[in-house]
Amino acid sequence: MKTLVIGYGNLDRQDDGVAWHVLSKLMQEFGVEKPNDINIDFFNPKKDVHFLYQLQLLPELADELSDYDYAVFIDAHNGAMPSDVYFEQLSPIFTSSPLTHHLSANSLLSITNQIHHKYPKSILVSIRGFEFSFSQCLSSQTASLVSIAVEKIHEWMNNQGKD
Amino acid sequence: MVAQKITIEPVTRIEGHAKVTIRMNEAGKVDHAYLHVNEFRGFEKFCEGRMVFEMPLITPRICGICPVSHHLASAKAGDDILGATPPRPASLLRELMHMGQVVQSHGMHFFELGGPDLILGFDADPEIRNVAGLLAADAGLTVRAVNLRKWGQEIIRILGGRRIHPNFAIPGGVNKALTKEERAMILAGYDEAIETIKIGLKIMYDWAEKNAEDINKFAVLKSGYFGLVNEDDALELYDGKIRLIDSTGKQLEKFDPRNYLDYIAEHVENWSYLKFPYYKKMGFPQGVYRVGPLGRCNNSKSITTPLANEELKRFKALNGGKPVENTLHYHTARLIETMYAAEHVKVLLDDPDILSKDILNTCRNPKSSGVGVIEAPRGTLIHHYWMNENQQLTKVNLIVSTGHNNWAMSEAVDSVAKTYITGPEVPEGILNRVEAAIRAHDPCLSCSTHAVGQMPMIIEVKDSSDTIVKTIKRD
Repeated sequence: MKTLVIGYGNLDRQDDGVAWHVLSKLMQEFGVEKPNDINIDFFNPKKDVHFLYQLQLLPELADELSDYDYAVFIDAHNGAMPSDVYFEQLSPIFTSSPLTHHLSANSLLSITNQIHHKYPKSILVSIRGFEFSFSQCLSSQTASLVSIAVEKIHEWMNNQGKD
Repeated sequence: MVAQKITIEPVTRIEGHAKVTIRMNEAGKVDHAYLHVNEFRGFEKFCEGRMVFEMPLITPRICGICPVSHHLASAKAGDDILGATPPRPASLLRELMHMGQVVQSHGMHFFELGGPDLILGFDADPEIRNVAGLLAADAGLTVRAVNLRKWGQEIIRILGGRRIHPNFAIPGGVNKALTKEERAMILAGYDEAIETIKIGLKIMYDWAEKNAEDINKFAVLKSGYFGLVNEDDALELYDGKIRLIDSTGKQLEKFDPRNYLDYIAEHVENWSYLKFPYYKKMGFPQGVYRVGPLGRCNNSKSITTPLANEELKRFKALNGGKPVENTLHYHTARLIETMYAAEHVKVLLDDPDILSKDILNTCRNPKSSGVGVIEAPRGTLIHHYWMNENQQLTKVNLIVSTGHNNWAMSEAVDSVAKTYITGPEVPEGILNRVEAAIRAHDPCLSCSTHAVGQMPMIIEVKDSSDTIVKTIKRD
């Protein structure tokens, strides 16, 4: 069962890039060497898992998403979510952002579904960011959430295809 | 009646975020509407101390939507400060990447951000007034739109070698030549791109015909127009002279972009962190100007590619040859530029130098400061660097397109609010028009940070004593 694990955020804006750190740790757990660059675009054929990092979600990712059975979206939030490591089963529902180019994971799934009439079973793992200054180092509070997020993602991925 | 204030603002704000305040008078009419941009120029400080050659890799990180514009403006500033003029094939390849950026950015704006207002209607249910609604209304068109953007992105990926943070342009040239196979891959998408843009233009003109009343009362502003042109005053997006015309179309200046500080000054208002650039000789506000697609199409006498040039003639006829003042025609101008960018891709690919391996000038003749200017999709982007003898940056000045258009966006918001809001009860469709006044300029307000880029908006209705009497939240 093919899985896409996609992280997004700005690695240079401190906790906004937490998804990169989560992705990096997750890749190591899958036996892949730690990436030394912001660009992560790696397919592990043994596990059928594709790791991908983006600055933000873009509509044309719909084509790529339609090829997967499962997708894990990893991003940062600024405290607006109910928990520090927020876990959500996603649905293909479009929400517009009136003034910005922001595209949510739900919206991307909606586009995927409308164009390709299918979409991967997906979750969002959103990690709380505390500091958004110009740095590639996570704040200590956000850094402490990385392992928790990785564990949640691992658990979800291991449970897929069993039912 | 008690005077009221309506505020539209994001819940959280960080660099570049904005809010709108609409102040109502005691008669229930709009007294004035303000666009406040809470800009923090942290990125310029962040760059100080970095080596000049690093800048084309660092500056794309400012923005996830137009990283290529910063990448290329930065490389151009590097060429200038290091005295390393790129060989012609390198300039062609940079320009090719830039055209890919213009196609993907403009394509996304028209079909996915601005388009739903036009195709589905300002007053359509907000649940469907988006790209998903477009898909439901016309799936074929939306797939075409996604493919258009994808084509632009593919050009960037082929040249930049990776999906994000292109590693391509460097001071003195580029670090990768184009292969015959890559050229063929890009050309394969050309015909469909042209057809999609033609469809977009037809949609725009059909809509304009049916909605002339809206167009003619929606933020029709008098201003100057500013942007790059070539030696014949034709549209130029990568390199040229800056031309500034007044509201009647008369040329005020045509100057080397390196000298921008001789012509531009910035006005400060106490209600916005973002400064208001203006033409120095005329002062503020007489010297305000607009940039971006409307600014450039007004500013250019012609376009060097045939289909776009025909569209420009049609555009210029809208106001009898005088500058087109209607903010909603930003959309028309955007599509004309998309056509130019797509056509220009083929012009570049047909150039005999495009496959050349002569792509880097390694000679250096450094000086203490250098300027790189490019027409980003949203308008003129200026990178100005100062460096020490070790080629470390001591000062950085970035003037981004959204900054140039600050006055235009503020005036558009005020004008639309005054035109459409007739009392404290603001229907959703009217609120959407206020947002559309900003959206028409395609500003880049929150791209640099994803987590706070979602910008939910709160509309607060306040009475004359600043007490909130009503709150509306939009996610």
